[in-house]
Amino acid sequence: MFTYRDERRLFAILSVIIVAALVALVQVSAARSGTTSPLSAVVDSVAGIFEMAVGWTTIAARSGLSKLAQTPHLVRENAQLRSQNIRLEQQNARLHEALAASSAERGLAPTLTQNLHALEARVIGFPPEGESQSVTINRGSRDGIHRDDGVVNADGVVGRIAEATPFVSKVILITDYTSSVPAMVQGGRWWGIAKGNLTSVRMEYISQDAPIRVGDRVITGEARSFHSGALIGTIERVERSDTGLYQTATVRPAADLSSLDRIVVIPK
Amino acid sequence: MSSFRSNLRATPYREPGWERAALYLALALLAQITFLHFFTLRDATVSPVLIAVIWFAIQADARRAVIYGFAAGFFEDMLATGTGGAWTISTTLTALLAGTLSRGFFADSIPLVAGIVVLSTLVRDLTFWLVMQGQGYPPGLGALHFHRALWQALLNATCVIVLMLVMRYRERGLSEPK
Repeated sequence: MFTYRDERRLFAILSVIIVAALVALVQVSAARSGTTSPLSAVVDSVAGIFEMAVGWTTIAARSGLSKLAQTPHLVRENAQLRSQNIRLEQQNARLHEALAASSAERGLAPTLTQNLHALEARVIGFPPEGESQSVTINRGSRDGIHRDDGVVNADGVVGRIAEATPFVSKVILITDYTSSVPAMVQGGRWWGIAKGNLTSVRMEYISQDAPIRVGDRVITGEARSFHSGALIGTIERVERSDTGLYQTATVRPAADLSSLDRIVVIPK
Repeated sequence: MSSFRSNLRATPYREPGWERAALYLALALLAQITFLHFFTLRDATVSPVLIAVIWFAIQADARRAVIYGFAAGFFEDMLATGTGGAWTISTTLTALLAGTLSRGFFADSIPLVAGIVVLSTLVRDLTFWLVMQGQGYPPGLGALHFHRALWQALLNATCVIVLMLVMRYRERGLSEPK
C-alpha cells in the first residue's frame, strides 16, 4: 500500500518524465523540420548576452594591456610628432615673415625706382608717452637725411623728417598737430593745407566754390618736403558753411600710420 | 630692502639706491619707446616712467625726488619729438607733488599710493599740455586729451596696485619663519 510520501515521489518522477518527453518531442520535431527549437532559441539568447559581456570585457582587457605595452613607443612617437610640429610652425612663421617682407619690398620698389636718391628705412621707435604722432627711423644724417625731407611708404605720404641725428631720425607723421603740408584735391586741382588732427588730416582753406566730394583723392602740392603728386589720402567728410570763405575736408590718410614698418625717405 | 614703512616685520626703511632707481628708469624708458606703444587701451598706454618716478618720490626726500623727476622728464624730452622741455617741467613738478603728498601718510597704503598715482598722472598731463601751449601748440589740447589721461591714470593705478601686492606678498613670504 502506497503512503502519502510515496505518492508525491511517484508524481514528481512522472512529471519529470513527462517534461523530458515534451522537451525531447520539441527537439526531435525541430531537428526533423530543420528549424531552431524555441527552447534552443531561449537558451542561446540568454547565453549570448553573457557571451557578449564576457567578450567585451576580454577585448577591453586585451586592448588595455596592449596599449600599456605600447606606451613607451607611443610616448616616443608623440614626442617626435610634437618636435616635428614645432619645426613646421617655425618654418611657417619664417615663410610668412619672408612673404611679408617681400611684399613690403615690392610695395616700396616703385618709389625707390622713381626717386634716385630715395632711402629705405625701418621704424625702430615711438614717442615715450605717445604725446605726438611721430616715429624714429634707423637712418640719420650720416646716410644723407636732412630735416624736412619727405617720408612716404608704399601706400602714400607718411610725414616729414623733424630731427636728423647721425644714426637715427625722427619723423613727424602727417596726423601730428604740427604737421602742415600743401595739398590739392586731385580731380580739380583745388589747393588747401593738410594739417594733422591726431587721428586724421584736415584739409583747410579749400576754396568755397570747389565742388569737392567724399572719396576724392588728395595729393601733395609742390613744397618744401614733397614734390607734387604723392597721395595723402581720400576725403572722408566735407564741412561747408554758407557764410565761410573756405571749406574744410577731413582726409583719411592712405598710409596706415598705426602699423608703420618700412618707409622711404625722399630727399629734395 | 622694504618699501613698506608700517610693516613691523619688515626691515627698517631705507631710501632706494641710485643705481637701482637709474636701472628702473632706463628699463621704463626703453619699454616706452619700443613696445608699449602696441598695448593701448582707448589710446592710453601705461607709463612705467611715471610709476618709477612716483615709486622713488614716495620713498626719497623731496630734493632727491625732484632730481629723479627732472632726470626722467629730461630723457623723455630727449626721446620725444618737439616737446621742448614740457616733460622735464611736468615730471619734475609731479615728482615734487608725489613726494610732498606722501610725507604725511604711510607709503605702504595701497589706496593712498594708487590715489597719488591717479592724481599725479592727471596733474602731469595737464602741466605738460600747458607747457606745450606755451611753446606754441594750439590751446585746449589738455582738455582734448583729458579722456586719454583718465584711462592712463587708471592703467597706472592698476599697475601700481598689482606691483605693491606682489611686493607685499614677497616680503611676507620672506619674513615667515621657516
